Amino acid sequence: MAFKGVDYYGIEELLSDEEKMFRDTVRKFMEDEVEPLVVNSFHKEEPLPLEDLAPKLGELGMIGPQIPQQYGGGGANHIQEGLLCQEVERVDGALRSFVEVQSGLVMYPIWQFGTEEQKHKWLPQIASGKTIGCFALTEPNHGSDVAAMETVAKKDGDSWILNGAKEWISEGSTADISVVYARAEDGIRAFLVPRGTEGYTQTFMDKKGAMRCGDVGQISLNDVKVPEENVLPQSTRLKQVFMCLDQARYGISWGAIGAAMSCYETALNYAKEREQFGAPIASYQLVQQDLVNMLTEITKAQLLAYRLGRLLDAGKARHQQISMAKRNNVEMARMCARTARSLLGANGCSYDYPPIRHMGNIEAVYTYQGTHFIHTLILGQDITGIQAFTREL
Amino acid sequence: MPGVNMIVCCKQVPDPEAPPVVFKVDPATNKMTLPPEVKPVIGQYDEFAMEAALRIKDKAGGKITILSLGNKLARDVVKKTLAVGGDELILLEDETFEEGDSWSTAHALAMAIKKTGEYDLIFCGRQSSDWDAGQVGLGIAEILGIPAVPLARRVEAVDGKVRVERVIPDGYEIVEVGFPALITVTSELGSLRYAALKGIMAAAKKQPIVWKPSDIGLEPSQVGAAGRRTKLAKLFQPVKEAKGEIIEGETPAEAGTNLAIRLREAKII
Ligand SMILES: Cc1cc2nc3c(=O)[nH]c(=O)nc-3n(C[C@H](O)[C@H](O)[C@H](O)COP(=O)(O)OP(=O)(O)OC[C@H]3O[C@@H](n4cnc5c(N)ncnc54)[C@H](O)[C@@H]3O)c2cc1C
Repeated sequence: MAFKGVDYYGIEELLSDEEKMFRDTVRKFMEDEVEPLVVNSFHKEEPLPLEDLAPKLGELGMIGPQIPQQYGGGGANHIQEGLLCQEVERVDGALRSFVEVQSGLVMYPIWQFGTEEQKHKWLPQIASGKTIGCFALTEPNHGSDVAAMETVAKKDGDSWILNGAKEWISEGSTADISVVYARAEDGIRAFLVPRGTEGYTQTFMDKKGAMRCGDVGQISLNDVKVPEENVLPQSTRLKQVFMCLDQARYGISWGAIGAAMSCYETALNYAKEREQFGAPIASYQLVQQDLVNMLTEITKAQLLAYRLGRLLDAGKARHQQISMAKRNNVEMARMCARTARSLLGANGCSYDYPPIRHMGNIEAVYTYQGTHFIHTLILGQDITGIQAFTREL
Repeated sequence: MPGVNMIVCCKQVPDPEAPPVVFKVDPATNKMTLPPEVKPVIGQYDEFAMEAALRIKDKAGGKITILSLGNKLARDVVKKTLAVGGDELILLEDETFEEGDSWSTAHALAMAIKKTGEYDLIFCGRQSSDWDAGQVGLGIAEILGIPAVPLARRVEAVDGKVRVERVIPDGYEIVEVGFPALITVTSELGSLRYAALKGIMAAAKKQPIVWKPSDIGLEPSQVGAAGRRTKLAKLFQPVKEAKGEIIEGETPAEAGTNLAIRLREAKII
């Protein structure tokens, strides 16, 4: 039977018709068109064929769903965006990264901080899946501490000259357009750099243990000239960077549920069929405890993500609440992947079964968009009023 | 109006992909019971019918009205027909419509179609995905007195006519029929397109029209269970017994001979 979702607490009843319909479209598309490609792509570390898939995602409204329709988006709410991430990551985390990078990290800053011209030029093409973007923030020497970034932008007449290096950038080696962050005299600014610009190189990062179905790349910037029209005028501080990250973190909190659902479903079915010592392993108390723990944690994570989505739609969510959902749900998915992997025994070590693929992917998710510790510190500061990110030594 | 005026009949059924073991028959009531995890869907053949109408609309333009008969129809299920490109959704929705047979269903749908007014083409799935009787489409055509072309695998509207490739046992034949006509659609036509987000958001603005028996000029006694012309004598799940028999022999050749003798005895060869 086709996957019907994990819903122990009747969350289905809280969803509108439009939310359910979009979820079902994404679910069917992922099962029909992406799932058959994933095992091989992961095994060979050959990214999913985005030149073929991305336009299909675009047609279905899976890229930039929350962007207004006038710019080629779908005008969806946050629950629809969340359900999209859930269903995509249930099949593969790298494709969910792609979706969330386009929507939350490339389209969102152009929409929020760009000029009307930039919005009309870039947003419809990215929404259609015919142009792929990336978000270049992380550097070899600065990950969590983005404020210390070394990439610089110097004003040169009507243009800017960029120098520096970025790495661990999703879609980094294939993107047609990159949102590059660099330190200018007046703060951290965002630049739109198209593929092929002189001095700008994009390289595929291989030998990854995570996100093997996706493209992650390094970018180097060597006297790259960017015209003023490619600067996002309203993105002048770290605050705007964090606003983008919040978008993607929210999507991650749902994506993690998808990965966990896949692990739980796989483990439950396996445990009911696999017999050892003359009985299905699901009949043993220890195995039942593992299954119950997974289901309970998934259910809690669903309620957190659902409530957060409604708060965002009402304009009432605080960024610390997004941190809590990202932190909790990714930790939860990590536990589910590990537990499911072990319940499958040796088969759990095969890429033919989803848990070990999710297990690899979720490690990246645990680190990107703010590591687990960083979100702990964000919440710690919120409740104690004391920041614990930096210290004098 | 320009383009082709079409009606598609779509039935909500329990998901046929659910494993057979979850379907249980209550012998006391002669009814099937379903666990709540089996979600409703639009029958697959009706989805092909919807796709056939959409392909005509893609090329020739026009309007698609969807009719669905039942009770407590799930809005997210039936509204999918609007999200993929349907224009109007009419639900014949009432508890008295429940438990009908092919006749009472075809009768009610035909009456509803008459009420909608002018039409060029009516599309139905070749059969429903639950009872598989395959009579409603042809029944509607009979009641309306219009020609019917069953088992379409391809449809194309040309100059006020429709050209249909219909599946026959050893291939297909091409039939042309003038408007109005009814066409039943088979799986070879291809799957229904996905409901894209834009279509879903546009469908959100449309409310289905709900008709009761009195809206289509029928008494409750003429629809659903009360309007049946067939009686369901017995509903049961067959018990399948698979018996195996091992044919032995001292050597493989002897086992082969014994097998041939056994098959001959059973009048299989
Ligand atoms: C698959 C993948 C895709 C990615 N995609 C993108 C992308 O598209 N764009 C982009 O810009 N980046 C991307 N990243 C990079 C990611 O955002 C960074 O890896 C992340 O921010 C962490 O930075 P770091 O790896 O430098 O770790 P570091 O910051 O060096 O952290 C190392 C460890 O130290 C801990 N730590 C750091 N500071 C503190 C502190 N104050 N207190 C306690 N513990 C601390 C961290 O929690 C972590 O455990 C991606 C990463 C991966 C793996």
